[in-house]
Amino acid sequence: MRESPQSSILSGALKGCLGSLDGACIEKLLLHCASALESNDVTLAQQVMWVLNNVASPVGDPNQRLTSWFLKALISRVSRVCPTPMNLNGNSSPQRRLMTVTELAGYVDLIPWHRFGFCASNSAIFKAIQGYNKVHILDLSITHCMQWPTLIDTLAKRPEGPPSVRISVPSWRPPVPPLLNVSSEEVGQRLGNFAKFKDVPFEFNVIGEQPTVPSSPCISTLECSSLQYDFLLNQVLNPSTLKLEDDEALVINCQNWLRYLPDEQNNGASQEISCRDIFLNRIKDLNPCIITVVDEDSELDVSNLTSRITTCFNYLWIPFDALETFLSKDNSQRIEYEADIGHKIENIIAFEGTQRIERLESGTKFSQRMRNNGFFSVPFCEETISEVKFLLDEHASGWGMKKEDDMLVLTWKGHNSVYATAWVPCGFDD
Amino acid sequence: MPADMDNSSVMNDSTASGDASASSSGNQAAAPPTSSAKKKRNLPGMPDPDAEVIALSPKTLLATNRFVCEICNKGFQRDQNLQLHRRGHNLPWKLRQRSSKEVKKRVYVCPELTCVHHDPSRALGDLTGIKKHFCRKHGEKKWKCDKCSKKYAVQSDWKAHSKICGTREYKCDCGTLFSRRDSFITHRAFCDALAEESAKAQTVEALPAPTADDEEPKLQTLASSSPPPSVAVQPPPPAALVSSALPVQNPEGPENPKQSPAPPQILEETSVVTSLTGSCGSSSSSSSHGSTSSSVFASLFASSTTSASLQSQTPEFTDLFRAVARPENASEVVASSSTEPISLCLATSHGSSIFGTAGQERRQYAPAPQPAMSATALLQKAAQIGAAATNASLLRGFGIVSSASASSGQQEWSGRGIESDSASLAAGLGLGLPCDGGSSLKELMLGTPSVFGPKHTTLDLLGLGMAAGGGPSGGFSALMTSIGGGLDVAAAAAATFGGSGEYSGKDMGRGS
Repeated sequence: MRESPQSSILSGALKGCLGSLDGACIEKLLLHCASALESNDVTLAQQVMWVLNNVASPVGDPNQRLTSWFLKALISRVSRVCPTPMNLNGNSSPQRRLMTVTELAGYVDLIPWHRFGFCASNSAIFKAIQGYNKVHILDLSITHCMQWPTLIDTLAKRPEGPPSVRISVPSWRPPVPPLLNVSSEEVGQRLGNFAKFKDVPFEFNVIGEQPTVPSSPCISTLECSSLQYDFLLNQVLNPSTLKLEDDEALVINCQNWLRYLPDEQNNGASQEISCRDIFLNRIKDLNPCIITVVDEDSELDVSNLTSRITTCFNYLWIPFDALETFLSKDNSQRIEYEADIGHKIENIIAFEGTQRIERLESGTKFSQRMRNNGFFSVPFCEETISEVKFLLDEHASGWGMKKEDDMLVLTWKGHNSVYATAWVPCGFDD
Repeated sequence: MPADMDNSSVMNDSTASGDASASSSGNQAAAPPTSSAKKKRNLPGMPDPDAEVIALSPKTLLATNRFVCEICNKGFQRDQNLQLHRRGHNLPWKLRQRSSKEVKKRVYVCPELTCVHHDPSRALGDLTGIKKHFCRKHGEKKWKCDKCSKKYAVQSDWKAHSKICGTREYKCDCGTLFSRRDSFITHRAFCDALAEESAKAQTVEALPAPTADDEEPKLQTLASSSPPPSVAVQPPPPAALVSSALPVQNPEGPENPKQSPAPPQILEETSVVTSLTGSCGSSSSSSSHGSTSSSVFASLFASSTTSASLQSQTPEFTDLFRAVARPENASEVVASSSTEPISLCLATSHGSSIFGTAGQERRQYAPAPQPAMSATALLQKAAQIGAAATNASLLRGFGIVSSASASSGQQEWSGRGIESDSASLAAGLGLGLPCDGGSSLKELMLGTPSVFGPKHTTLDLLGLGMAAGGGPSGGFSALMTSIGGGLDVAAAAAATFGGSGEYSGKDMGRGS
């Protein structure tokens, strides 16, 4: 058969792959697709997409699975380049699966991705609140209080007796998985049940009125995000809304949270620092006795699309690889977990501006930001480190941990995945 | 750039022969075409760009006892150990000192071509690590646990597992078993079994008659006559129940004089207790705090051990039971449009996950496991498709029906469209077409238009049937038209893809 020009293009692209499409090759293809999109080269884009489509499979090996999500994100991006009447509601996400609380409990323990942060943070919190009889935790996280049962359990066994515990969560959280099929109130109710069972005096509050998210697509997403940001600053980080008390230890827990705060310079004339920094300063003003911050260790807030794709691909293979080691290819929990990561991939690759809410910065950069904003880091003690080690020993042996400056970092086969840090404001009054 | 790839090929070939081969091409990692060497340094996937990348052969990696004593033939994993052993034979021995000079950092790649760790950017940092990895992943699982029959390729893994297997088990009241305490605690905190236990502590025997409505007056009756669904309240004064802004701890509903705003609380109880209606807002789970028939189901789950284990391990089946408990919503769920308000959205997602997951699993068993499609095969197919300009539409194959049902479309996207398309393409392999690409990667990257063939055949890949006209956006408009406008075509095409009859039916229902 006569070789068509198309095959010569593709053969060029695939030449280096030597008969097998490994991660390196797929990454190249993804980048070709991205640059084709950037330069409006439809022909090349569709050709590469065609090849990627043949590689992709959500139930294949980790590379194939990752590819399927990346490809989907690229297609999603294309559809935003040229909006049609059908996708006016540009920010709408597909119907996401909602979990029950018990499903979520299992989900966070599938791999130590979340549990690592929980363990390190809870241990640091436990140490920091020694001597206090009242604790107030402001929980800013996306995992719906899954962190707290183990802390409550530890506090219950405190030799001097448990402190009374108050947990506050904002009534709004970023619209990202994991999603629950019950309200925060219900979650708090169950937590309260458990605390009672453990004889720990407990109170749960959902803070603030929900910012009115308009259903009409006419309001710009810019307005949406500023509404939420205002809500966070003015209602959540508000001493009177929080009902702060002097004899209470205030703990602020940020887990996979700060990345959703915009980091560009504010448009206001007088503002010179970003929303994220303003947020941190407001936290400082509340005079917490400890701030625990956990997030993923990757630099994903880059304006250049091809850099984002590379970084994203070279980072998110980690959870895919980890899941592969012990769950079968058609395991539904695995597929769902990966789908949630796919949601993140889509936001990072398909969206821009205020719609791209995933603005993750690396642990190192974040630590520098904290220092710049007047916090100093609380080192994790040996006890914490051994607790975390013990935890990781109970999981697959690819998981490890290392100390990097101020951070404890979860590693998979030596690659950084999640970092955990603890901070106090400089000049904290005990 | 071609030079990079040549290096890769050299490294790959070298592993086929000999025991060990080292290539000191540190920066061989897959690099974005436009990045500079400096940029590679920051790639998260590449811990140390100056590291020496070493590829050992499978034989080396699997060998456990390379160092053998010449006297008694006892094998050791490390030379140091052998030397220490030789002392016992009164042989001259010498421990090799660690060289004082700086040893270059080494990273190891897996020799297995298809393995993710074959890529230098995924190299592992230590020799033991790569050996263990190779053994686990590509080796035979010769070690088997006696108690649970789990198999391991690495002896130390097997030992580690045997130590803990069956020794530490935490059992929740619902019957689920945990080997880790933290997962047990977390589960326990949110488990329905705990909610029930606190409800039982109220010393109430009879379960109330299930009422499926959510009217306030009826619920008041329910709340007052039946065991309160929420927190276990012992005789201790209500002061012990720290009351919050929301009715978390309120057991008595309107009857408790200490609680001020009664109506909101009832509303709260409404949404919590009556899960059968799938009402807007909070709980739609039948195993919520409610002491209505939902707890009947919950206790059904709790009592029988088989279903209890089902509950933990196969959540989709539990959801199915719960969906059944919500009769009117479950069946309509899957077919309904996804633009409904929140209440049905909750049910929709639940429904989708029930049927979607199960359906996906069934369908994915049907087609043969996907062969790793080689680059060569793809080339052949690309040539075939491009030249023949068949009806196969790229984006139809994705199963993108329209953006209105894009949500559902996207949900199926991952499960169906890609799979069936690839499966049918996989069937067309092995045509024996020669593959020799003339143009290089560089040409491709530069994207010189001269490289591209007549556009009409290319565009037919999308089934656009028109020349690539106009400016940049013109091309994309065409692309998007095929996505958006391909409604009927896509649905029809979807129906023809094998093994997806079920879903395409629903698709068409939604799309039309």
